[in-house]
Amino acid sequence: MRRRIVGLAFFCVSVCADPVILKAQDFKLFDRTVQVHGYVSQGFVYTNDNNWLTMDTSSGSAAMTDMALNASSQITDKLRVGAQGYDRNLGQLGQYHPSLDWALANYRFKSWFGVRGGKVKTTLGLYTDTQDLDFLRVFALLPQSIYPADLRDATIAHLGGDVYGNISLKHGLGDLSYTAYAGHRSDSIYSGYAYFLSQYATYLKSFGGLQYGADLHWRTPLKGLLVGGSRLDEDITGKGVGVSPFNYMAGVQPYYESSKADWVNQVYGEYERGKLRVDSEYRRYWRNQQVFNGTSEDLADIRGWYVSGAYRVSKRFQFGSYYSRYTVTNRTAGLLSAIATPATDTSLPANHDYDKVVAGRVDLNRFWNVKVEGHFMNGYGDAPYPNGFYPQVNLHGFSTTTNALVVKTSFNF
Amino acid sequence: MKNERSPLLFTVGVILVAMLGPFPVLASDFKLIANSSLKADAVSAEELKKIFLEESSSLSDGTHVEPVLESDGPVHRAFLQQCLGRSSDDLQTYYRALVFTGRGSMPKELSSDAGVVAYVARTRGAIGYVSIATSTEGVKTLTLLDSKDNAQRKVIRRVKPEYPETLRRLNIGGTVRLRVTISAKGNVEEVELLGGNPILGEAAIVAVKQWVYTAGHSRDLIEVSIPFDPHS
Repeated sequence: MRRRIVGLAFFCVSVCADPVILKAQDFKLFDRTVQVHGYVSQGFVYTNDNNWLTMDTSSGSAAMTDMALNASSQITDKLRVGAQGYDRNLGQLGQYHPSLDWALANYRFKSWFGVRGGKVKTTLGLYTDTQDLDFLRVFALLPQSIYPADLRDATIAHLGGDVYGNISLKHGLGDLSYTAYAGHRSDSIYSGYAYFLSQYATYLKSFGGLQYGADLHWRTPLKGLLVGGSRLDEDITGKGVGVSPFNYMAGVQPYYESSKADWVNQVYGEYERGKLRVDSEYRRYWRNQQVFNGTSEDLADIRGWYVSGAYRVSKRFQFGSYYSRYTVTNRTAGLLSAIATPATDTSLPANHDYDKVVAGRVDLNRFWNVKVEGHFMNGYGDAPYPNGFYPQVNLHGFSTTTNALVVKTSFNF
Repeated sequence: MKNERSPLLFTVGVILVAMLGPFPVLASDFKLIANSSLKADAVSAEELKKIFLEESSSLSDGTHVEPVLESDGPVHRAFLQQCLGRSSDDLQTYYRALVFTGRGSMPKELSSDAGVVAYVARTRGAIGYVSIATSTEGVKTLTLLDSKDNAQRKVIRRVKPEYPETLRRLNIGGTVRLRVTISAKGNVEEVELLGGNPILGEAAIVAVKQWVYTAGHSRDLIEVSIPFDPHS
């Protein structure tokens, strides 16, 4: 670990000493220009109590690294192709297993109609498709009530296609942008949900399924104001092996689970004026999953919202703050209801996570930034669906409150 | 003697008006330039914004376009503020979001006016901006139509303004901004100078009064920017 941090620090210093090599690299291939871009980020998290995001944060953890590299080219006036590889390590998640983040062909017929196909980033709310790109924002971590870092795989991309476009409304009524998509979602087995299930001696080998949805947002005539809404439906199946909680004596058996209903509704608004940016989102995630080989149902109602503000003080310094609120209720049916207690009271710390955040960002140059962020959390919302706090790394149980310091630096070119 | 001195007095007068007039040429003035393959002579503010935000890769006539940026400087900042309503940092953030989600590319960025002109001259469909004083040999200069309603009211007959010869000789140029009143039938009823050199403004007014627009539902007020480039 120490060697990795030293290596990363050396890389950072060397590329920042020579900003020329940080610029996007263009080269010619079959008479077409190919652009190459990439980023790398490294974080450090310290918490005063509970371990967070599967890291050993109560001792201070730097197990928070992610990076990506992409290449793309304009093949014809309207056709663009490209691909991006992504890798991360976040505590017990990711574990430096690289993945194809996106790989697509994009054909734009008109500004109001285009199609893209391949592995495509999913459009859901303001930041789902850009959630990894912390260098676009003041904050090191997006509001975890809606964009949980441990569950990034759940919504990040689909193998399928999008139709999209932008329509200018007459009489100065602004612009409408739409995206509709369908495809197959495939989570890494190193994602948060797989890790969550491992506490029940259940180990996923695959997790994914059909995903389809749409997003519509309106850039209103009021300069800087955007409002929108998204809907996502899924049909997810997980397969693996596990020990049944109803029959320990049978030992390790094949395991599967599948969706009975799985959808997300999200509404959002964003306002930008000069150096000020304010945004807010609300998400409701309803999940009815048939678990333990169809013997039981797990019904979770997960709701989150946040209000966020950021201000650019100078070219190099920005600060921001947000309040994020997450609640979860859960009940079960079938065999599981005999051993699981319904979670209906969102005032209990096990069923909520309220997070007050302040953050500052310094841009050392155009490519390199450093962020310092404080989180003041109440609750740990650990069941029945993960949200940052996992019993496997909190063996002595949870405290009600957690304060966290996050320091993160990112490079991009 | 009288006949010999009059042109001199006129020239001095022109220089004084040009230099001391209420609308001096600003350092931040820019003009739009495009590769000569572009058929259009003008582009609406709305089209221009979509092109530079990569929401569109062609003009309304179907011609392919490619935006070209300057990396920094007063011309760059003025263009971003006036045409895109964004700061340079905001625009970089916007492009990075496109680049890292596979939805767009980083536009070509050049560090000087001369570099932009050279790139635009050799790249089919390229469209960029340079300071008003920059020589634009080898590229065409585009008129920026500022109205929000340009989508509804397009120019169907355009008369090019005559460049006052004395100002051209003295290398005096700039962009003039006009407010144009268009009748429902599409004729130009009234033209008012909003900004820019008053002599160039007069020449622009004479030309714009002869323009004809597509018909609309009612009388419309639009703003038009016309660049005067002494080198073109």
